[in-house]
Amino acid sequence: MNKQLEKLISLHDLDVMIADLDRKDIRKREIEMGLHKDGVLEELKELREEYCKSIGRKWRGLYNQLTRHYGNAVVPALMGRCAGCLTRLPTAVCSDPDRNMKIHTCPTCGRIIYWAD
Amino acid sequence: MKYTALCKFELSATSREEAIAELLGLFPVGERSQNLLAGALDIREKVGATVVHNTIVLPHCRSILVDKLTIAVGRSEAGIGWPKNRIHTVILFVSPVRLNAPQDHTRFLSHIAGRIKKFGDRIVAAETQDELLDLLGFQHEELEIR
Repeated sequence: MNKQLEKLISLHDLDVMIADLDRKDIRKREIEMGLHKDGVLEELKELREEYCKSIGRKWRGLYNQLTRHYGNAVVPALMGRCAGCLTRLPTAVCSDPDRNMKIHTCPTCGRIIYWAD
Repeated sequence: MKYTALCKFELSATSREEAIAELLGLFPVGERSQNLLAGALDIREKVGATVVHNTIVLPHCRSILVDKLTIAVGRSEAGIGWPKNRIHTVILFVSPVRLNAPQDHTRFLSHIAGRIKKFGDRIVAAETQDELLDLLGFQHEELEIR
């Protein structure tokens, strides 16, 4: 898999983790279970900033722009379609065994696409 | 409601990283996805270990790399250094990132919290895989070889 694509997927999952810990219902449940520790959210946000620096400016910019617009910048391809907007993706790309070796974006919504291995 | 879970009753791992990798090895995803999930779970454990009931740990996250709630349960007689606690039961789960997934994730957290509160000591002392999964309210999931 393309290294930048891997980093973008990891950044997406880190953003979901931060958003979840900021959600009232999840935080409440984690506090009740003794899983929530003070300062976790701040530490994750710092880690995110550090992590962002390892992603090329072009892809980081696109990721941030897509996240602001849609809430999610990276989506899987499902049955040849973009899981974000359900547009059918080009057959040539979908059938390429090395499709994850470069970063592809949805021709309609522009989201970053990956194919599950 | 019974959740389905993958299970490895006798983990060989001795460290947190090894235990996470061993349980992710049961997941029906490729090696690259396993490595990315391990990274996300490790970050969460580093900033705040998810240890409950002294010897039970709940490494978890939500990820776009899974398309359904995937649970893997492991047990170690000898214990796993987590690193400050000695862990005997690992309940690892990854929820998908979907519109209704935060609610599903919270519902599952509630389920597992209830089970640990009610059966914590029995979960730690479970002698068989079936007993452990039954106490957790899980059904054993058999995966087809891909």
